[in-house]
Amino acid sequence: MQIRDYIIRRLMILPILIIGTSIIVFALTRIGGSPIGIYLSHEMSPAEVQEMKERFHLDKPVPVQYFYWIKGVSQGDLGWSGVASAPVVDVFPKKFAATMELAIAAGIVAVSLGIAMGTFAGARRNKISDHIIRVVSVSGASMPLFWFAILLLIIFWVWLGWFPIGRSDPNLFEAIPHPTGFYTIDALLAGNFSAFRDAIWHLIMPAVALGYGATAIIARMMRSSLIEELQEDYVDAAKAKGLAERVVLKKHARRNALVPTVTVIGLTFGFLLQGTVVAEIIFRWPGLGRWMASAVLRGDQATIMTYVMFTSILFLFVNLVVDIIYAYLDRRVVLGD
Amino acid sequence: MSPDNLDIQNSLDKDLIASVTDLKVYFESKQGMVHSVDGVSFDIVDGEMMGLVGETGCGKSVTARTFMQLVQSPPGMLAGGNIKFRSKNIKNGSQVIDLLDLSENQIRELRGERIAMIFQDPGKALNPGLTIRTQVAEVFQEHRENDVLEEAGLKNKLTGVTEYFVKKYIKQEAGFLVTTLFKIPPLSTYKKKIDSGINRLVAEALEETQIPNPTKVMERYPHELSGGMKQRVMIAQAIACNPDLLIADEPTTALDVTVQARVLDLIKELQKRHKTSVLYISHDLSLVRRICDRIAVMYAGQIVETGDAETIFNQPKHPYTQGLINALPSMSHERGKLEAIEGIVPELIEPEPGCRFVSRCMRRKANCEEIDPKLKPISEVNKSHKVACLLYEA
Ligand SMILES: Nc1ncnc2c1ncn2[C@@H]1O[C@H](COP(=O)(O)OP(=O)(O)OP(=O)(O)O)[C@@H](O)[C@H]1O
Ligand code: SF4
Ligand SMILES: [Mg+2]
Repeated sequence: MQIRDYIIRRLMILPILIIGTSIIVFALTRIGGSPIGIYLSHEMSPAEVQEMKERFHLDKPVPVQYFYWIKGVSQGDLGWSGVASAPVVDVFPKKFAATMELAIAAGIVAVSLGIAMGTFAGARRNKISDHIIRVVSVSGASMPLFWFAILLLIIFWVWLGWFPIGRSDPNLFEAIPHPTGFYTIDALLAGNFSAFRDAIWHLIMPAVALGYGATAIIARMMRSSLIEELQEDYVDAAKAKGLAERVVLKKHARRNALVPTVTVIGLTFGFLLQGTVVAEIIFRWPGLGRWMASAVLRGDQATIMTYVMFTSILFLFVNLVVDIIYAYLDRRVVLGD
Repeated sequence: MSPDNLDIQNSLDKDLIASVTDLKVYFESKQGMVHSVDGVSFDIVDGEMMGLVGETGCGKSVTARTFMQLVQSPPGMLAGGNIKFRSKNIKNGSQVIDLLDLSENQIRELRGERIAMIFQDPGKALNPGLTIRTQVAEVFQEHRENDVLEEAGLKNKLTGVTEYFVKKYIKQEAGFLVTTLFKIPPLSTYKKKIDSGINRLVAEALEETQIPNPTKVMERYPHELSGGMKQRVMIAQAIACNPDLLIADEPTTALDVTVQARVLDLIKELQKRHKTSVLYISHDLSLVRRICDRIAVMYAGQIVETGDAETIFNQPKHPYTQGLINALPSMSHERGKLEAIEGIVPELIEPEPGCRFVSRCMRRKANCEEIDPKLKPISEVNKSHKVACLLYEA
């Protein structure tokens, strides 16, 4: 009841936030200069250049350009991607699905492993297993992603040959339809098990590389907040009722320890999205990150704006979800201001 | 708990419910071993209220927690002594056990069942993330599986695998999978019955502590209740299984003054009605005198004087007890703070031999710094009045 009102209120301010973000994104991108370069070639005459400018409304003041952009967006026109040599709308969904599949897989790795490791270590404070987990998580949080990714690549692809790079075996995936763009789900929907296995196989290495840092952060947060919760009086009170250690840990302490951890999980999502750029380049994953990297290098503004807008909106939603989970877990949170 | 592996030598005077002998609990610290409880002995008479009083830090809570093996280890460690306890209401009659000898599983069966505890700050002792119902229910789920089955109308109605899983579910021993199965048909019909059975038991328990509107209060979270209400919930939870011994560790200290008296009366009334033995811990001597039959005065990890409340008040023998009673504002019911005696409590880290009270004692003798006084009866007439002071040693 309370939570429902809260969600409704949050959803209502969402459009305002999105419009605000779009203005900032547009302004920041235009500060980088006019996007005309990507549409031109050396053979064009000044008159042709002028014609191009007029065609894309680049002869108008920047605020007016913004409205043309918004008008285009509302009509489903996200502009022309010079890098992909195609309209942004046509390329975006596929790349987006590829990136999301990777980010979500990494997120699943990070959340499940992070919480499990943190709980395990926190419940066995200062025992051997705690120290081992601490070493693993400190290195995870301090090792740069590109370095760890290349390490995995060398060991598991070059030396051992256990895992492939890229996204899939094209032979397997040409045959099946792509209703979702998530190869794992598409393969399942098509009932093609070997394609599913192939998709998972391709996912593992980049997902682990990408998720490692977030795993470490989540594990550390979970460990310290669990240790804190275990000092609380209610833990002793629960034991004094005769409850088993397992119930005290899982039902009482862990649940409360999750509250601060959930906030961190929300933050690591940003970390993951950011990491997709590096992970996609290293593992040749055909997603938004790789596309973005070339777009930035070549000043492909339509692509950049779409990407930034999209990730911002994604962020707003993730934040909303995190806040809702947080409110649900911690009943003391006063919903609202 | 199987009676076979219990020590037959365990013996306890018929009128006692528990007896602590030479209990020593130490804590490791960087500065050295902290002798928080250092040779504590006292008896709790069956059906009576025993008051344990002493200044802050003298080891009252540690003593109380030791009854339930709840002292964290490390840093805590048991350095000696025993706690004999008469566990009643068991199928094969009452038996005497040493609480410190029990395994984790054995002590767990006693916790919340034969021995229950009320904590100082009810705001911290309730889990903020769970409803009152969920928390009180756990006592019944853990110890009163049959009552739950009966209230749910499932007693003797289940067989085989179903019975096995329903019992596991009630006792919170079911894993994630089984628990999930209970949320969907056909097992969800059992869950519904069990839940409503538990609801009745919880409501009854809350009613016992005079909580108005138990069925409503049940659905609340702790932060939605007042301090007094929370303490009532704690009490309800503690007496749910009608324990033999209730340990109340300063149960009113954290409450508003107006609420304190009512909670105190409630504890006293419940104690009388159920003939529960109570170990009541407080630093307020006049309060303890009002409600307790017997008193043990604790100082720096040791008991310095113990006896029935009237004797302690009218004929205090230990200089510390005498100081405390003189420090009471008047002999009326105003609060007397134990800190009113000059001086500070000595360090409990690797203490020197000799009387712990020597630095503050007005009546000390030459050998007080060398000899440890022993807690023993000082008169032939009243053997239960014991004092640990060299003034009374021959
Ligand atoms: N977990 C612990 N770790 C280290 N030392 C402890 C721990 N618990 C208790 N102690 C030590 O034991 C001593 C006695 O503590 P205890 O809590 O029993 O005092 P108390 O008599 O209950 O005081 P209060 O009236 O403040 O509750 C303390 O001075 C402290 O140094
Ligand atoms: S033993 Fe000595 S110092 Fe200790 S209380 Fe008695 S007289 Fe005082
Ligand atoms: Mg205490």
